[in-house]
Amino acid sequence: MDFDFSEDQTMIIDSARKFLEKECPKDKVRKLKEDEKGYDPETWGKMAEMGWMGLILPEEYEGIGMEFFDLTLLMEEMGRNILPAPFFHTVALCSLPILEYGTSEKKRNILPKIACGEEIWTLALTEPSASYEPSGIGIHAISSEEDYVLEGTKLFVPFANVADHLLVVARTSQQENPQEGITVLIVDAGSPGIKTEVIPTTANDKQCEVVFDKVRVPKDNVLGEVGKGWDIVEFILQRASVLKSAEMLGGAQFVLEMANSYAKERVQFDKPIGSFQAIQHKLAGVFIDVEGLRRLVYEAAWHISTGLPSRLLTSMAKAKANEVYKRTCIEGIKVHGAIGFTEELDLGLYYRRTKAFEFALGGTGFHRERVAVELEGYDPLFLRR
Amino acid sequence: MDFRFGEKEEKLRQEIRKFAKEELPPGWLSTMLEEESEDEDWEFAMSIAKKLAERGWLTMSWPEEYGGKGASLWEQLVYSEEASYWGIPGVTMGVGGVDWVGPSLMMFGSEEQKKKYLPLIASGEPDGIWCTAYSEPNAGSDFAKIQTRAVREGDEYVINGQKIWTSAAHRAKWCWIAVKTDPDATKPHKGISVFIVDMKSKGITVRPLINYVGHHIFNEVFFDDLRVPAANLVGKENNGWYQLMHALGFERGSIAGRCYGYNKRILDELIEYTRERGLFREREIRHKLADVAIELETQKVLAYETIWKMSKGASPIYEPSRDKVFNDHILERLAMLGTEILGCYSQIDPLSRNCKWTKLNGHMESLFWLFLGYAIAAGTDEVEMNIVGQFGLKLPKSY
Ligand SMILES: Cc1cc2nc3c(=O)[nH]c(=O)nc-3n(C[C@H](O)[C@H](O)[C@H](O)COP(=O)(O)OP(=O)(O)OC[C@H]3O[C@@H](n4cnc5c(N)ncnc54)[C@H](O)[C@@H]3O)c2cc1C
Repeated sequence: MDFDFSEDQTMIIDSARKFLEKECPKDKVRKLKEDEKGYDPETWGKMAEMGWMGLILPEEYEGIGMEFFDLTLLMEEMGRNILPAPFFHTVALCSLPILEYGTSEKKRNILPKIACGEEIWTLALTEPSASYEPSGIGIHAISSEEDYVLEGTKLFVPFANVADHLLVVARTSQQENPQEGITVLIVDAGSPGIKTEVIPTTANDKQCEVVFDKVRVPKDNVLGEVGKGWDIVEFILQRASVLKSAEMLGGAQFVLEMANSYAKERVQFDKPIGSFQAIQHKLAGVFIDVEGLRRLVYEAAWHISTGLPSRLLTSMAKAKANEVYKRTCIEGIKVHGAIGFTEELDLGLYYRRTKAFEFALGGTGFHRERVAVELEGYDPLFLRR
Repeated sequence: MDFRFGEKEEKLRQEIRKFAKEELPPGWLSTMLEEESEDEDWEFAMSIAKKLAERGWLTMSWPEEYGGKGASLWEQLVYSEEASYWGIPGVTMGVGGVDWVGPSLMMFGSEEQKKKYLPLIASGEPDGIWCTAYSEPNAGSDFAKIQTRAVREGDEYVINGQKIWTSAAHRAKWCWIAVKTDPDATKPHKGISVFIVDMKSKGITVRPLINYVGHHIFNEVFFDDLRVPAANLVGKENNGWYQLMHALGFERGSIAGRCYGYNKRILDELIEYTRERGLFREREIRHKLADVAIELETQKVLAYETIWKMSKGASPIYEPSRDKVFNDHILERLAMLGTEILGCYSQIDPLSRNCKWTKLNGHMESLFWLFLGYAIAAGTDEVEMNIVGQFGLKLPKSY
C-alpha cells in the first residue's frame, strides 16, 4: 500500500499546472465561451508538443507510453484550471478504444495523428433519448455490399463542431438483448450527409446535435467486431468515467481552495467569516468530501492501470464526483455571499460546468444502478468463510 | 501508487479469518458498544482476549519486550479491520488498555509502571482491564475544565471529585484518570495530570448509568479522599494534557480500520438479507445500498490514507477527526437503511435478541439505537469538525 506519486507523476502535475495557468488564464476561458470552435488551436498545438495527447499511447504510435493513472492526474489538472479543449474527447473517448480494439492498420493510421495533435476525435453515443443504456441506441447502420448507411440523430456529441472523425455507436442488427447488435463505426466528419449543430449548453462546451442523413461508412471502418460494440462502450464508460471524475475532482479542489481563502480574508462583525462555525463546518464538510473523492478516484484509476476489474469502482467514483462537485460549488458560492453570484468571480465558471460534468457518461442514478448490480451479484465475505 | 497489501499482511488476514471461524459461534455478530453490559457477553469477550493474547495479536504493535510483536501499522490495520468484520470481541482490554494506556506508559511511564502494567494488558487477563476517566459533569467537550482534584500529601496524592460517562468502570481493574493538580495554572490545560488508580481502592464509588436501550455501558465514578501512591503519577505533574494529546496518536492506527471493518460487515449482511428477501427489486432500496457502499469504499481509502501518512512518519492531526466524522455519518446511514430494510422487524428490542422474530441477531436494531452513542463518544461530530476546520483548512478557531 503506497499512495506516493512517482517522480514522473509529480512532474506531470507540476508541468501541467504551470502550463495551464500560463496558457489558459480565466479571461481566456471566458473568451472561449463565445468562440465558435470552443478551443484555442494554438494551445492545442502546444499541448501536443508537451506530449499530452499521446501521454499513454505506446511509442510506436508517437506516444510516450505512460500509464492510465498518469492520464488521470493530467485530467485532474485540466479540471482544476478549466481547459476548454477537445482533449478528453479525443484521448479518452476515442484514442483509448482505438488502441484496445483497432486493427494494427487502423492504429498505425490513426493514433500517431492523435498523438501529434493533428486530428480531433469524438464519440457519438447518446441520442435524443439521452440514455447511456444500450437500449438508448436507436440509430441504424444498414449494411449494404461495401458500406454501412447511417441514419438518425446523435445528441450531446461533444466538440462534433470541430472533430475530424467520430466514433459512432450504431445498431447494425435488431436483437432481443439490446446489448447485442451494436457496432462502433469510424466516421469521417466530412462525409456527405452529416449535419452538425451546436447546442447552447451552460458549460459552453460545444456539445452538438449530429444528424446523419444516409451517411455512407466503408465496411472497413468498423472498430472491433460487428455486433459487439457495446463491449467497447463499456470499455470507454469505465475509463472515461474515471477521467471525467478526475477532472471534476480537480475543479472541486480548486473551488474549495477559493472558498477557503475567501473565508480567511473576508471580515464581517470584526472577524474573518471563516471563524464562524456555520461557515467553517460547511467548508470542513466539503473538504472531507473532496479528500474522499480524491482517494476514490485514485483507487479506481489504479485498478484500471493495473488491469483489475474496475466496473464497480469506476461507477462509485463517478457517482461520488457528481455529488461532490455540485455540492462544493454550491457551498463555495454561499461562502462568498453576493460576489459568488456574479459573472466576475471565477467560481461561476466552475458552477456552470456542473450539469455538463454530471451527465457526461451518466448521472448519479445511472452509476448507482451499476453499483447496485454489482452488489446484487456480490458474494459477501462472511458467507465465504 | 499501489493499493495492494503486502504478503505479510495478506497472510495475517487469512490467519485472523481462520481464528474467527474456529473461535466464534456460527453466524456470530457483535456490536462495538455492548460487550461490557451483560455478564455472559463480557465473559466470552474475556475468553477471546486471552486467546488473542496467546497469539500475540492483542497488543501486536507493542515491542516484544512488553508482550507485543512489533507489528507494522499496516499489519495493525489489517488486524483491526478483520477483527471487527468478524466481530471478534475483547480486543481493547476495556476502554483504552490496548489503544492508549499501554502506548502512553511506554512513552511517559516509569520503568516500574511499564514492568507492572504492560504485561497485564498484553496477557488478556481481567487484571489488565482499564477504564478511562476524562469526562466530568461540567467538562465534556471542554475537557480542560475538569475539576476533580489531586493534592499531594507526602508520598501520596489525595483525589476528590467526580467523573461521568466512564465506560466499563464496572469491569475494570484500573482507571486511567485525568485530574487537576494545579487549579491556578495560567491556562486550564496546564494544570492537568494523569494517574493510575486501582478500582478496588477505598474511596471509589461506581454508580451505573443505564442508556435508553437498557445497557449498562457507562458509569458515574465518585472519588472521596482516595489515596493514590505518588508512584502512580504517569509522566510529569501538570504535563497530563500534553501526554494525552500525544497518546491520541496511538489510537489512530486502529480506530479507522476498526470502523471500516465493522461497517463492511453490516453492509454485507444487509446485501445478503436484501437478496434473500427479494428486495433488490426495489429501486429505492438498491440505490440506497449502492450509495452507502460508495461511502464505505471512500471510508476505506481515507482510513488507508491516514495509515499511509503515519507510515511515512507523519503525525496526522486532522485526519483522525475527519475519519471519525465520516464514520459517524456512515453509521447513521447504515442504521437508517438497515432498519428500513428490516421494516417491522426492526421494532424488536435489542435486549431480546434471542426472540424468534429477531433478524440478523438484532444487529440492525442495536446499531440504530447505539449509533448516537458512537457519534457523541470520544469527541462529538461538531467538535471533530472544528478540528478539521482548524487544522485541515487552517481556519481561525471558531469558539
Ligand atoms: C457511549 C459513550 C461512552 C463514553 N465513554 C467515556 C469514557 O469511557 N470516558 C470518558 O471520559 N468519557 C466518555 N464519554 C463521554 C464523552 O467523551 C463526552 O460525552 C463528549 O466528550 C461530549 O461531552 P458532553 O457529553 O459533556 O457534551 P457537551 O460537551 O456538553 O456537548 C453538548 C453539545 O454541544 C456541542 N458543543 C460543545 N462544544 C462545542 C464547540 N466548541 N463547538 C460546537 N459545538 C460544541 C457538542 O457537539 C454537543 O452537540 C462517553 C460518551 C458516550 C456517549
